[in-house]
Amino acid sequence: MKRRIALIALLLLVVGAVLVLRWSPGGYAAQDRDSTMAPFSAQHWTGTDELGRDRTVRVSAALLIGLAGATAAAALTTAIAGCFGLAAAFSPSWVAALLIFLSDVFLSLPWLFLLMMARSLLPLTASPLDTAVATFVVLAALGWPACARVIYRGALALRSAEWMIQGHACGLRTRQLVRLHLLPHLRSLLLPQFLICVPAFIVAEANLGALGLGVGEPLPSWGSMLLELDNSALLARSHWVYLPIALLIIVLLTLESFATEVETHA
Amino acid sequence: MNWPVTIAMRAGRTLLLILCAAAGTTLLVRFAPGFFSDSREMDAKYAPAAQDEMDAEHSQHQTVSQIAIEEARNFLAGGFGMSRQYRVPVAELIGARIPLSALLLARGIIGGWLLAICAALPVSSLRKGGVLCSLPFTVLLAIPTAAMATACILSELGGPVLVLALLVAARDFKFLRSLLEGAWRSPHLLQGRALGLSPRVLVKLHILPNVLPQLCALTTLSIVTALGALVPIEVIFTVPGVGQLAWAAVMNRDLPVLVAVSLLMACVVGFAGMLSMRAPILEAA
Repeated sequence: MKRRIALIALLLLVVGAVLVLRWSPGGYAAQDRDSTMAPFSAQHWTGTDELGRDRTVRVSAALLIGLAGATAAAALTTAIAGCFGLAAAFSPSWVAALLIFLSDVFLSLPWLFLLMMARSLLPLTASPLDTAVATFVVLAALGWPACARVIYRGALALRSAEWMIQGHACGLRTRQLVRLHLLPHLRSLLLPQFLICVPAFIVAEANLGALGLGVGEPLPSWGSMLLELDNSALLARSHWVYLPIALLIIVLLTLESFATEVETHA
Repeated sequence: MNWPVTIAMRAGRTLLLILCAAAGTTLLVRFAPGFFSDSREMDAKYAPAAQDEMDAEHSQHQTVSQIAIEEARNFLAGGFGMSRQYRVPVAELIGARIPLSALLLARGIIGGWLLAICAALPVSSLRKGGVLCSLPFTVLLAIPTAAMATACILSELGGPVLVLALLVAARDFKFLRSLLEGAWRSPHLLQGRALGLSPRVLVKLHILPNVLPQLCALTTLSIVTALGALVPIEVIFTVPGVGQLAWAAVMNRDLPVLVAVSLLMACVVGFAGMLSMRAPILEAA
């Protein structure tokens, strides 16, 4: 029931964001120079930022970009973690030890610091779209070690399962066993890992953006929208500045409750 | 295997991990597409000739082996070389900032733990309403560190310690709650309750000794969480600590400082990881 409510809430948010973007006359980058830092009006429902860009449209675009980017990055990271975990579980012990050591090297540095380091080393002249892609690719590329450890432990437990031994005895090759038997069993591990990664990546992007290392302007993102909170002139004029953070919390709570429910029932 | 050997093996592995983290940082920084990017490239006042000179300057530090040899030499000389950004010895730069960050970390972690334990102990013993009581921590988990820090500045309430404590508390509460819930439901606890032992006695004599090994592992997690949050917190609150230095080094591609900060962070994470070893030691004792 909770899972269904969370999914419906998320769908409503996404559909709402798509409709807002579709009906907006100028898009997320259009500037209304006559009404910069404007409060609520019939034209701009939640006001505008310091460049006169409509906040409703930008928040909607940030929601879609954040959700799409984080989902793609989470899918990529789960795939990497799955391959890594399976490779470690089905390799000779010294290879497994080496692979686990490699994941430990990644885990030996705080994730946000590692992300910040990798993200900031891109060229200074990257386009906004490139920065968006780079941000989420970096998230995917550095987010796998913890997932891989979980999948490795799960796969290791399944490796010695009776049906695996019987499969081997029946002459099935490792690839067939993994594809036909192991992956369906691991789905209960892979799906929660994927769902946990989505809100984690959204939060990471918001933190990177708040440090000036996220998605580049004029593309809207949660991180760049949070930077608006530093503008005291804007804060004094309108309370709608808090809309992005409020919406971000709602999205994250919905995603987390959905992930928790799936994990509980898996 | 007896525990001194286990400790020695773990320490060796931690040392290897730290060295690999430093080597990985060097490789990451050196092979990143923007390693040779220079903010001066964007400045129109630099003539093409000056750009060529900058390229020549970059080519002096081109190969990984050159960088590695230079780093090893600096390390053996008892330092980490000179900061490219500040033109000051890296050891001096970091040394001055460590006490500030360590104090912030210690206060934040202790505050977070107190908050999480004080909330988790009563909530875990509840039969109903636990989800509602956990709601503040669930909401805190959904707020990015940077947003939490900005909110603190805007409301003029609290500071970096409060943000760090709230973050650690939000992360640890979830684990502590499930850990303590399991402990409260164990048969010997049920019997103790049936015999009329007070909750205080139960917690002191039965719950805490049983969950101690897991608490050690949770301490490691708290330290890693706090270290990760150190950068945005110090940057937003302009605390001149290691986190702010790391951010400045990242923004200016200051490789010697980055390697030193990575080594420091890997050391803290590595030795914090060794805290989780208490479980086999306790069992052996």
